[in-house]
Amino acid sequence: MSIRFVKAGLLTTVQDSGRFGLADKGISSNGAMDSIAMQTANWLVSRPLTSPVIEITLAGPTVKFDQSMSFAVSGANFDLILNDSPIPANQTIHVNQGDKLQFGKCLSGLRAYLAFSGRIKLPKTLDSYSTHLMAEFGGFNGRALQDDDVIELADIQIPPRKILPNQYKPFYGGNYQIRITDSVESSEFSAEQMSQFLNQTYHVMPQSNRMGLRLQCDDPVIINKSILSSGLAQGSIQIPPSGQPVISSVDGQTIGGYPRIANVISADWPILAQLKAKDKITFAYVSIEQAMQIRKEKMGMYKQLWG
Amino acid sequence: MRQVPYKIVNNGEMALTIIFDCPISLDLCQRILFLQKKLRRSIRQYLLQSIPAYQSLTLCLNENSLDITAFITQQIKQIMSQMDHKYSFLGKAYIPKTIEIPVCYDAEFATDMRTVSEHCKLSSDEIIQLHSQTTYQVYMLGFLPGFLYLGGLDKQIHCPRKAVPAFEVMAGSVGIGGEQTGIYPVNSPGGWQIIGRTPVRLFSPSSNKPFIANPLDNVRFVVIDKQQFDKLSGQES
Repeated sequence: MSIRFVKAGLLTTVQDSGRFGLADKGISSNGAMDSIAMQTANWLVSRPLTSPVIEITLAGPTVKFDQSMSFAVSGANFDLILNDSPIPANQTIHVNQGDKLQFGKCLSGLRAYLAFSGRIKLPKTLDSYSTHLMAEFGGFNGRALQDDDVIELADIQIPPRKILPNQYKPFYGGNYQIRITDSVESSEFSAEQMSQFLNQTYHVMPQSNRMGLRLQCDDPVIINKSILSSGLAQGSIQIPPSGQPVISSVDGQTIGGYPRIANVISADWPILAQLKAKDKITFAYVSIEQAMQIRKEKMGMYKQLWG
Repeated sequence: MRQVPYKIVNNGEMALTIIFDCPISLDLCQRILFLQKKLRRSIRQYLLQSIPAYQSLTLCLNENSLDITAFITQQIKQIMSQMDHKYSFLGKAYIPKTIEIPVCYDAEFATDMRTVSEHCKLSSDEIIQLHSQTTYQVYMLGFLPGFLYLGGLDKQIHCPRKAVPAFEVMAGSVGIGGEQTGIYPVNSPGGWQIIGRTPVRLFSPSSNKPFIANPLDNVRFVVIDKQQFDKLSGQES
Protein backbone atom coordinates (compact mmCIF):
# COMPACT_ATOMS: atom_id res chain seq x y z
CA MET A 1 0.00 0.00 0.00
CA SER A 2 1.90 2.99 -1.20
CA ILE A 3 1.96 6.24 -3.09
CA ARG A 4 4.55 7.01 -5.70
CA PHE A 5 5.63 10.59 -6.29
CA VAL A 6 6.25 10.24 -10.03
CA LYS A 7 7.20 13.91 -9.97
CA ALA A 8 8.11 15.44 -6.64
CA GLY A 9 7.38 19.12 -7.32
CA LEU A 10 9.36 22.14 -6.15
CA LEU A 11 9.43 21.63 -2.39
CA THR A 12 7.25 18.77 -1.23
CA THR A 13 7.71 17.72 2.39
CA VAL A 14 6.06 15.65 5.09
CA GLN A 15 4.79 17.90 7.90
CA ASP A 16 2.52 17.44 10.88
CA SER A 17 1.31 19.84 13.56
CA GLY A 18 4.87 20.50 14.68
CA ARG A 19 7.72 19.55 16.96
CA PHE A 20 7.32 21.13 20.36
CA GLY A 21 9.35 21.34 23.53
CA LEU A 22 12.79 21.41 21.90
CA ALA A 23 13.17 25.12 21.15
CA ASP A 24 15.53 25.32 24.12
CA LYS A 25 17.81 22.95 22.20
CA GLY A 26 17.72 25.14 19.11
CA ILE A 27 15.05 23.12 17.32
CA SER A 28 12.25 25.23 15.94
CA SER A 29 8.70 23.92 15.84
CA ASN A 30 8.69 22.89 12.14
CA GLY A 31 5.37 21.47 10.99
CA ALA A 32 2.88 22.68 8.40
CA MET A 33 3.15 26.44 7.81
CA ASP A 34 -0.60 26.67 7.26
CA SER A 35 -1.85 24.60 10.18
CA ILE A 36 -5.51 25.35 9.40
CA ALA A 37 -5.24 24.00 5.84
CA MET A 38 -3.30 20.98 7.16
CA GLN A 39 -6.02 20.17 9.68
CA THR A 40 -8.73 20.73 7.09
CA ALA A 41 -7.07 18.21 4.74
CA ASN A 42 -6.95 15.66 7.58
CA TRP A 43 -10.57 16.36 8.48
CA LEU A 44 -11.67 15.78 4.88
CA VAL A 45 -10.16 12.26 4.91
CA SER A 46 -11.34 11.57 8.49
CA ARG A 47 -7.82 11.30 9.92
CA PRO A 48 -6.72 12.72 13.31
CA LEU A 49 -6.22 16.46 12.71
CA THR A 50 -2.55 16.45 13.72
CA SER A 51 -1.58 13.57 11.38
CA PRO A 52 1.32 14.12 8.99
CA VAL A 53 0.37 15.40 5.53
CA ILE A 54 2.25 16.40 2.39
CA GLU A 55 3.07 20.11 2.16
CA ILE A 56 3.24 21.30 -1.44
CA THR A 57 4.87 24.56 -2.51
CA LEU A 58 4.12 26.50 -5.74
CA ALA A 59 4.79 23.62 -8.15
CA GLY A 60 3.11 20.44 -7.01
CA PRO A 61 3.79 16.74 -7.50
CA THR A 62 2.32 14.00 -9.68
CA VAL A 63 1.18 11.15 -7.50
CA LYS A 64 0.29 7.56 -8.40
CA PHE A 65 -1.91 5.43 -6.14
CA ASP A 66 -1.25 1.68 -5.96
CA GLN A 67 -4.56 0.90 -4.31
CA SER A 68 -7.97 2.45 -3.81
CA MET A 69 -8.20 5.04 -1.05
CA SER A 70 -9.31 8.62 -0.52
CA PHE A 71 -7.38 11.85 -0.48
CA ALA A 72 -8.05 15.55 -0.11
CA VAL A 73 -6.25 18.77 -0.97
CA SER A 74 -6.62 21.99 0.99
CA GLY A 75 -4.82 25.34 1.16
CA ALA A 76 -3.49 27.05 -1.99
CA ASN A 77 -5.60 26.61 -5.14
CA PHE A 78 -3.97 24.43 -7.78
CA ASP A 79 -5.37 23.00 -10.99
CA LEU A 80 -5.89 19.37 -9.97
CA ILE A 81 -6.15 16.64 -12.58
CA LEU A 82 -7.13 13.07 -11.72
CA ASN A 83 -6.17 10.86 -14.66
CA ASP A 84 -7.46 13.23 -17.38
CA SER A 85 -10.24 15.09 -15.61
CA PRO A 86 -10.17 18.19 -13.46
CA ILE A 87 -11.23 17.62 -9.86
CA PRO A 88 -12.04 20.01 -7.03
CA ALA A 89 -9.97 20.72 -3.93
CA ASN A 90 -11.45 20.90 -0.44
CA GLN A 91 -13.41 17.67 -0.66
CA THR A 92 -12.88 13.96 -0.17
CA ILE A 93 -11.93 12.25 -3.45
CA HIS A 94 -12.00 8.48 -3.91
CA VAL A 95 -9.41 6.91 -6.18
CA ASN A 96 -8.77 3.43 -7.55
CA GLN A 97 -5.60 1.45 -7.98
CA GLY A 98 -3.45 2.95 -10.72
CA ASP A 99 -5.07 6.39 -10.64
CA LYS A 100 -2.81 9.39 -11.12
CA LEU A 101 -3.21 12.81 -9.47
CA GLN A 102 -1.43 15.72 -11.06
CA PHE A 103 -0.95 19.16 -9.56
CA GLY A 104 -1.09 21.74 -12.33
CA LYS A 105 -0.79 25.47 -12.16
CA CYS A 106 -0.84 27.19 -8.78
CA LEU A 107 -3.75 29.62 -9.20
CA SER A 108 -3.62 31.42 -5.87
CA GLY A 109 -1.84 31.09 -2.55
CA LEU A 110 1.44 29.20 -2.23
CA ARG A 111 1.15 26.06 -0.08
CA ALA A 112 -1.36 23.22 -0.42
CA TYR A 113 -1.78 20.18 1.80
CA LEU A 114 -2.41 16.65 0.56
CA ALA A 115 -3.82 14.14 3.04
CA PHE A 116 -4.54 10.43 2.50
CA SER A 117 -7.09 8.21 4.21
CA GLY A 118 -4.34 6.07 5.71
CA ARG A 119 -1.45 6.33 8.12
CA ILE A 120 1.82 7.48 6.61
CA LYS A 121 4.38 4.83 7.57
CA LEU A 122 7.39 6.91 8.53
CA PRO A 123 9.27 7.00 11.82
CA LYS A 124 8.83 9.86 14.28
CA THR A 125 12.05 11.73 14.95
CA LEU A 126 12.28 13.84 18.09
CA ASP A 127 8.57 13.40 18.65
CA SER A 128 7.30 14.55 15.25
CA TYR A 129 6.91 13.45 11.64
CA SER A 130 7.80 16.92 10.38
CA THR A 131 10.79 17.43 8.10
CA HIS A 132 13.54 19.65 9.50
CA LEU A 133 15.10 20.72 6.22
CA MET A 134 18.17 22.53 7.54
CA ALA A 135 19.22 19.86 10.04
CA GLU A 136 18.09 17.10 7.63
CA PHE A 137 15.99 14.91 9.88
CA GLY A 138 12.37 13.88 10.29
CA GLY A 139 9.78 13.45 7.54
CA PHE A 140 10.97 11.41 4.56
CA ASN A 141 14.71 10.74 5.17
CA GLY A 142 15.10 14.29 6.48
CA ARG A 143 14.60 15.83 3.05
CA ALA A 144 12.11 17.10 0.52
CA LEU A 145 10.61 14.40 -1.69
CA GLN A 146 12.38 13.59 -4.97
CA ASP A 147 11.06 12.07 -8.18
CA ASP A 148 10.01 8.44 -7.74
CA ASP A 149 10.04 8.46 -3.94
CA VAL A 150 7.48 6.06 -2.51
CA ILE A 151 5.60 6.64 0.72
CA GLU A 152 4.08 3.59 2.38
CA LEU A 153 0.63 3.80 3.92
CA ALA A 154 -1.09 1.57 6.47
CA ASP A 155 -4.61 1.27 7.92
CA ILE A 156 -6.27 2.62 4.77
CA GLN A 157 -9.95 3.40 5.25
CA ILE A 158 -12.60 4.52 2.83
CA PRO A 159 -13.98 7.49 4.75
CA PRO A 160 -17.31 9.27 4.27
CA ARG A 161 -17.30 11.99 1.62
CA LYS A 162 -16.99 15.52 3.02
CA ILE A 163 -17.04 18.91 1.37
CA LEU A 164 -15.54 22.00 2.99
CA PRO A 165 -18.30 24.60 3.42
CA ASN A 166 -17.68 27.79 1.45
CA GLN A 167 -17.29 30.03 4.49
CA TYR A 168 -14.14 28.06 5.42
CA LYS A 169 -12.44 28.61 2.08
CA PRO A 170 -9.91 31.43 2.38
CA PHE A 171 -9.53 33.85 -0.52
CA TYR A 172 -5.90 34.27 -1.58
CA GLY A 173 -6.00 37.58 -3.41
CA GLY A 174 -2.30 38.41 -3.26
CA ASN A 175 -3.05 41.65 -1.43
CA TYR A 176 -3.47 41.15 2.29
CA GLN A 177 -3.97 43.09 5.46
CA ILE A 178 -2.22 41.28 8.29
CA ARG A 179 -3.01 42.03 11.91
CA ILE A 180 -0.19 42.57 14.38
CA THR A 181 0.11 43.10 18.11
CA ASP A 182 2.70 44.00 20.78
CA SER A 183 6.04 42.24 20.86
CA VAL A 184 9.02 42.31 23.21
CA GLU A 185 10.65 45.46 21.76
CA SER A 186 7.53 47.26 20.50
CA SER A 187 8.03 49.97 23.13
CA GLU A 188 11.55 50.67 21.78
CA PHE A 189 9.92 52.14 18.68
CA SER A 190 8.53 55.68 18.78
CA ALA A 191 4.91 56.47 17.90
CA GLU A 192 6.19 58.05 14.66
CA GLN A 193 8.13 54.91 13.76
CA MET A 194 5.09 52.76 14.48
CA SER A 195 2.83 54.86 12.26
CA GLN A 196 5.52 54.91 9.55
CA PHE A 197 5.56 51.09 9.79
CA LEU A 198 1.78 50.85 9.54
CA ASN A 199 1.56 53.27 6.61
CA GLN A 200 3.78 51.26 4.26
CA THR A 201 2.89 48.68 1.66
CA TYR A 202 5.28 45.74 1.78
CA HIS A 203 6.27 43.42 -1.03
CA VAL A 204 7.05 39.79 -0.32
CA MET A 205 10.58 38.98 -1.47
CA PRO A 206 11.48 35.79 -3.37
CA GLN A 207 14.05 34.83 -0.68
CA SER A 208 11.15 34.06 1.67
CA ASN A 209 10.93 30.47 2.86
CA ARG A 210 9.87 28.27 5.77
CA MET A 211 12.47 29.97 7.99
CA GLY A 212 11.25 33.48 7.46
CA LEU A 213 9.38 35.89 5.24
CA ARG A 214 11.39 38.77 3.87
CA LEU A 215 9.54 41.96 3.10
CA GLN A 216 10.51 45.14 1.36
CA CYS A 217 9.08 48.66 1.42
CA ASP A 218 10.09 52.09 0.14
CA ASP A 219 10.50 53.89 3.44
CA PRO A 220 11.74 51.36 6.01
CA VAL A 221 11.82 52.09 9.73
CA ILE A 222 15.45 52.39 10.82
CA ILE A 223 16.19 51.65 14.45
CA ASN A 224 19.70 51.79 15.85
CA LYS A 225 19.24 50.08 19.17
CA SER A 226 20.98 46.97 20.32
CA ILE A 227 18.76 44.67 22.29
CA LEU A 228 19.04 41.50 24.36
CA SER A 229 18.74 38.34 22.30
CA SER A 230 15.67 36.41 23.34
CA GLY A 231 13.35 33.62 22.27
CA LEU A 232 11.52 34.13 18.98
CA ALA A 233 7.82 33.38 18.89
CA GLN A 234 6.14 32.49 15.60
CA GLY A 235 5.20 35.56 13.57
CA SER A 236 7.80 37.88 15.16
CA ILE A 237 8.46 40.88 12.90
CA GLN A 238 12.16 41.62 13.26
CA ILE A 239 13.71 44.85 12.06
CA PRO A 240 17.35 44.31 11.00
CA PRO A 241 19.67 47.28 10.35
CA SER A 242 18.36 47.66 6.77
CA GLY A 243 14.87 48.30 8.15
CA GLN A 244 13.37 45.69 5.81
CA PRO A 245 11.29 43.38 8.02
CA VAL A 246 11.77 39.64 8.45
CA ILE A 247 8.87 37.63 9.87
CA SER A 248 10.04 34.51 11.65
CA SER A 249 8.34 31.29 10.71
CA VAL A 250 8.19 27.60 11.65
CA ASP A 251 11.74 26.59 10.60
CA GLY A 252 13.44 29.76 11.81
CA GLN A 253 16.04 30.32 14.49
CA THR A 254 14.83 29.95 18.06
CA ILE A 255 16.63 33.04 19.36
CA GLY A 256 16.84 36.42 17.67
CA GLY A 257 18.85 39.56 18.21
CA TYR A 258 17.02 42.17 16.14
CA PRO A 259 14.32 44.41 17.63
CA ARG A 260 10.78 43.16 17.04
CA ILE A 261 8.37 45.93 16.20
CA ALA A 262 5.34 43.62 16.51
CA ASN A 263 4.17 40.02 16.13
CA VAL A 264 1.62 38.78 13.62
CA ILE A 265 -1.44 37.59 15.55
CA SER A 266 -1.94 33.82 15.61
CA ALA A 267 -5.22 33.97 13.68
CA ASP A 268 -3.25 35.35 10.70
CA TRP A 269 -0.32 32.87 10.77
CA PRO A 270 -1.99 30.70 8.08
CA ILE A 271 -1.93 33.67 5.66
CA LEU A 272 1.86 33.90 6.13
CA ALA A 273 2.09 30.40 4.63
CA GLN A 274 0.29 31.57 1.50
CA LEU A 275 2.41 34.66 0.76
CA LYS A 276 4.46 34.45 -2.39
CA ALA A 277 6.93 36.71 -4.14
CA LYS A 278 5.37 40.01 -5.27
CA ASP A 279 2.31 39.69 -3.03
CA LYS A 280 1.54 42.93 -1.26
CA ILE A 281 0.75 43.34 2.41
CA THR A 282 -0.12 46.05 4.87
CA PHE A 283 -0.26 45.75 8.63
CA ALA A 284 -3.06 46.71 11.03
CA TYR A 285 -2.49 46.97 14.77
CA VAL A 286 -4.75 45.27 17.32
CA SER A 287 -4.29 45.06 21.10
CA ILE A 288 -3.24 41.84 22.85
CA GLU A 289 -6.77 41.46 24.18
CA GLN A 290 -8.28 41.89 20.71
CA ALA A 291 -5.81 39.35 19.33
CA MET A 292 -6.93 36.85 21.97
CA GLN A 293 -10.57 37.51 21.10
CA ILE A 294 -9.97 37.10 17.34
CA ARG A 295 -8.21 33.79 17.98
CA LYS A 296 -11.03 32.60 20.22
CA GLU A 297 -13.65 33.36 17.55
CA LYS A 298 -11.61 31.71 14.83
CA MET A 299 -10.93 28.56 16.85
CA GLY A 300 -14.62 28.43 17.79
CA MET A 301 -15.58 28.52 14.13
CA TYR A 302 -13.20 25.65 13.30
CA LYS A 303 -14.26 23.62 16.33
CA GLN A 304 -17.76 23.69 14.88
CA LEU A 305 -16.46 22.22 11.65
CA TRP A 306 -13.95 19.73 13.00
CA GLY A 307 -16.05 18.65 15.98
CA MET B 1 19.98 35.97 48.77
CA ARG B 2 19.69 38.96 46.48
CA GLN B 3 16.56 39.62 44.46
CA VAL B 4 16.62 39.60 40.69
CA PRO B 5 14.37 42.26 39.17
CA TYR B 6 12.37 41.11 36.20
CA LYS B 7 9.47 42.14 34.02
CA ILE B 8 7.07 40.13 31.89
CA VAL B 9 6.34 41.45 28.40
CA ASN B 10 4.04 40.29 25.62
CA ASN B 11 5.69 38.48 22.73
CA GLY B 12 2.56 38.51 20.57
CA GLU B 13 -0.62 37.22 22.20
CA MET B 14 0.62 33.63 22.24
CA ALA B 15 3.93 34.10 24.08
CA LEU B 16 5.37 35.88 27.11
CA THR B 17 8.98 36.88 27.64
CA ILE B 18 10.41 37.31 31.12
CA ILE B 19 13.26 39.82 31.02
CA PHE B 20 15.79 39.93 33.85
CA ASP B 21 17.30 43.28 34.63
CA CYS B 22 20.82 42.25 35.62
CA PRO B 23 24.10 41.43 33.85
CA ILE B 24 24.86 38.05 32.27
CA SER B 25 26.21 35.69 34.92
CA LEU B 26 26.30 32.02 35.83
CA ASP B 27 24.02 32.78 38.76
CA LEU B 28 21.40 34.35 36.48
CA CYS B 29 21.71 31.42 34.06
CA GLN B 30 21.02 28.97 36.92
CA ARG B 31 17.99 30.98 38.00
CA ILE B 32 16.56 31.06 34.47
CA LEU B 33 17.02 27.30 34.10
CA PHE B 34 15.43 26.70 37.49
CA LEU B 35 12.47 28.89 36.58
CA GLN B 36 12.10 27.02 33.27
CA LYS B 37 12.19 23.65 35.01
CA LYS B 38 9.52 24.70 37.53
CA LEU B 39 7.26 26.29 34.91
CA ARG B 40 7.44 23.16 32.76
CA ARG B 41 5.48 21.48 35.54
CA SER B 42 3.30 24.24 36.91
CA ILE B 43 2.01 25.62 33.58
CA ARG B 44 2.47 22.51 31.44
CA GLN B 45 -1.11 22.54 30.17
CA TYR B 46 -0.40 25.84 28.37
CA LEU B 47 3.29 25.50 27.51
CA LEU B 48 4.37 24.64 23.94
CA GLN B 49 7.96 25.86 24.05
CA SER B 50 10.22 27.48 26.63
CA ILE B 51 13.31 29.28 25.39
CA PRO B 52 15.97 30.48 27.83
CA ALA B 53 18.43 33.14 26.68
CA TYR B 54 21.23 34.99 28.53
CA GLN B 55 18.85 37.40 30.29
CA SER B 56 15.38 36.16 29.44
CA LEU B 57 13.00 33.23 29.31
CA THR B 58 10.35 33.04 26.58
CA LEU B 59 7.22 30.95 27.03
CA CYS B 60 5.26 30.02 23.88
CA LEU B 61 1.71 28.99 24.71
CA ASN B 62 -0.89 26.81 23.02
CA GLU B 63 -3.70 28.90 24.42
CA ASN B 64 -3.84 32.29 26.10
CA SER B 65 -6.32 34.68 27.70
CA LEU B 66 -6.07 37.44 30.27
CA ASP B 67 -6.86 34.84 32.94
CA ILE B 68 -4.17 32.46 31.74
CA THR B 69 -1.61 35.28 31.59
CA ALA B 70 -2.54 36.25 35.16
CA PHE B 71 -2.14 32.63 36.28
CA ILE B 72 1.29 32.33 34.63
CA THR B 73 2.37 35.69 36.08
CA GLN B 74 1.43 34.42 39.53
CA GLN B 75 3.39 31.19 39.02
CA ILE B 76 6.47 33.14 37.92
CA LYS B 77 6.22 35.41 40.95
CA GLN B 78 5.97 32.46 43.28
CA ILE B 79 8.97 30.62 41.81
CA MET B 80 11.07 33.79 41.71
CA SER B 81 10.38 34.61 45.35
CA GLN B 82 11.19 31.01 46.26
CA MET B 83 14.60 31.53 44.68
CA ASP B 84 15.09 34.88 46.37
CA HIS B 85 14.59 33.35 49.82
CA LYS B 86 16.29 30.00 49.56
CA TYR B 87 19.50 28.54 48.28
CA SER B 88 17.81 25.19 47.90
CA PHE B 89 17.53 25.38 44.12
CA LEU B 90 21.31 25.43 43.85
CA GLY B 91 21.62 22.34 46.04
CA LYS B 92 19.41 20.32 43.72
CA ALA B 93 21.00 21.80 40.64
CA TYR B 94 22.37 19.71 37.81
CA ILE B 95 25.91 18.40 38.31
CA PRO B 96 27.89 19.71 35.34
CA LYS B 97 30.04 17.51 33.12
CA THR B 98 33.21 18.58 31.35
CA ILE B 99 33.11 17.77 27.66
CA GLU B 100 36.23 17.71 25.54
CA ILE B 101 35.69 18.66 21.93
CA PRO B 102 38.57 17.91 19.53
CA VAL B 103 39.29 20.75 17.10
CA CYS B 104 41.59 20.81 14.10
CA TYR B 105 42.85 24.36 13.61
CA ASP B 106 44.72 23.55 10.35
CA ALA B 107 44.60 26.15 7.59
CA GLU B 108 42.33 23.91 5.51
CA PHE B 109 39.51 24.49 8.00
CA ALA B 110 40.58 27.80 9.57
CA THR B 111 39.39 29.90 6.65
CA ASP B 112 39.28 33.16 8.64
CA MET B 113 42.35 32.67 10.82
CA ARG B 114 44.17 35.44 8.95
CA THR B 115 41.34 37.94 9.62
CA VAL B 116 41.36 37.10 13.33
CA SER B 117 45.16 37.22 13.39
CA GLU B 118 45.22 40.68 11.79
CA HIS B 119 42.43 42.02 14.00
CA CYS B 120 43.88 40.68 17.27
CA LYS B 121 47.53 41.23 16.27
CA LEU B 122 48.37 37.70 17.32
CA SER B 123 49.91 34.76 15.48
CA SER B 124 47.71 31.80 14.65
CA ASP B 125 49.60 29.70 17.22
CA GLU B 126 48.81 32.27 19.90
CA ILE B 127 45.14 32.32 18.89
CA ILE B 128 44.94 28.51 18.98
CA GLN B 129 46.59 28.47 22.39
CA LEU B 130 44.24 31.11 23.83
CA HIS B 131 41.21 29.41 22.31
CA SER B 132 42.07 25.91 23.57
CA GLN B 133 43.36 26.70 27.06
CA THR B 134 40.03 28.06 28.35
CA THR B 135 37.29 26.05 30.04
CA TYR B 136 34.05 27.38 28.61
CA GLN B 137 30.71 27.49 30.34
CA VAL B 138 27.64 26.27 28.45
CA TYR B 139 25.02 28.92 29.24
CA MET B 140 22.32 27.47 27.05
CA LEU B 141 21.48 25.77 23.78
CA GLY B 142 19.53 27.38 21.00
CA PHE B 143 19.56 29.36 17.77
CA LEU B 144 20.37 26.27 15.64
CA PRO B 145 19.81 22.60 16.60
CA GLY B 146 22.33 21.74 19.30
CA PHE B 147 24.17 25.07 19.13
CA LEU B 148 25.99 25.83 22.41
CA TYR B 149 26.14 29.34 23.82
CA LEU B 150 29.60 29.36 25.44
CA GLY B 151 30.87 31.89 27.95
CA GLY B 152 34.51 32.60 28.67
CA LEU B 153 36.24 33.53 25.41
CA ASP B 154 39.56 35.27 26.14
CA LYS B 155 39.32 39.04 25.49
CA GLN B 156 42.50 38.95 23.40
CA ILE B 157 40.73 36.95 20.69
CA HIS B 158 37.42 38.81 20.50
CA CYS B 159 36.86 39.58 16.83
CA PRO B 160 33.90 41.17 15.01
CA ARG B 161 31.64 39.10 12.79
CA LYS B 162 31.88 39.29 9.01
CA ALA B 163 30.15 42.30 7.46
CA VAL B 164 28.51 39.97 4.94
CA PRO B 165 27.66 36.49 6.30
CA ALA B 166 29.03 33.48 4.42
CA PHE B 167 26.42 31.71 2.31
CA GLU B 168 27.19 28.33 3.84
CA VAL B 169 29.33 27.39 6.80
CA MET B 170 30.06 23.66 7.18
CA ALA B 171 28.76 21.76 10.19
CA GLY B 172 31.48 21.44 12.84
CA SER B 173 33.07 24.79 11.99
CA VAL B 174 34.45 26.55 15.07
CA GLY B 175 34.16 30.30 14.96
CA ILE B 176 34.53 33.57 16.79
CA GLY B 177 31.72 36.12 16.61
CA GLY B 178 32.34 39.24 18.67
CA GLU B 179 32.78 38.17 22.29
CA GLN B 180 31.57 34.64 21.69
CA THR B 181 32.95 31.41 20.34
CA GLY B 182 30.86 28.54 19.09
CA ILE B 183 30.48 25.57 16.79
CA TYR B 184 28.07 25.37 13.86
CA PRO B 185 26.03 22.21 14.50
CA VAL B 186 24.58 22.01 10.97
CA ASN B 187 25.47 23.51 7.60
CA SER B 188 24.01 27.00 7.63
CA PRO B 189 24.66 30.57 6.60
CA GLY B 190 26.79 32.35 9.16
CA GLY B 191 28.81 35.45 9.98
CA TRP B 192 31.38 34.13 12.42
CA GLN B 193 35.12 34.05 11.74
CA ILE B 194 36.03 30.40 11.28
CA ILE B 195 39.26 29.22 12.96
CA GLY B 196 38.87 25.43 12.97
CA ARG B 197 36.62 22.44 12.70
CA THR B 198 35.57 19.58 14.94
CA PRO B 199 34.86 16.09 13.59
CA VAL B 200 32.41 15.58 16.47
CA ARG B 201 28.69 15.88 15.79
CA LEU B 202 26.96 18.33 18.09
CA PHE B 203 23.56 17.12 17.08
CA SER B 204 22.52 13.53 16.24
CA PRO B 205 18.75 13.54 15.82
CA SER B 206 18.31 9.77 15.68
CA SER B 207 20.50 9.00 18.67
CA ASN B 208 19.04 8.54 22.15
CA LYS B 209 21.34 11.36 23.23
CA PRO B 210 20.84 13.91 20.43
CA PHE B 211 22.73 16.77 22.09
CA ILE B 212 26.37 16.75 23.12
CA ALA B 213 25.99 19.00 26.16
CA ASN B 214 23.49 20.48 28.59
CA PRO B 215 23.35 23.99 29.98
CA LEU B 216 25.83 24.46 32.87
CA ASP B 217 28.25 21.84 31.45
CA ASN B 218 31.85 22.84 30.76
CA VAL B 219 33.53 22.58 27.39
CA ARG B 220 37.23 22.36 26.51
CA PHE B 221 38.66 22.39 23.00
CA VAL B 222 41.44 19.85 22.46
CA VAL B 223 43.85 20.53 19.60
CA ILE B 224 44.08 17.71 17.04
CA ASP B 225 45.91 17.42 13.71
CA LYS B 226 44.44 16.58 10.32
CA GLN B 227 45.26 12.89 10.65
CA GLN B 228 43.36 12.63 13.95
CA PHE B 229 40.54 14.68 12.43
CA ASP B 230 40.17 12.22 9.55
CA LYS B 231 40.26 9.24 11.90
CA LEU B 232 37.60 10.73 14.18
CA SER B 233 35.46 11.77 11.19
CA GLY B 234 35.50 8.15 10.04
CA GLN B 235 34.25 7.00 13.43
CA GLU B 236 31.46 9.56 13.42
CA SER B 237 30.01 8.52 10.08
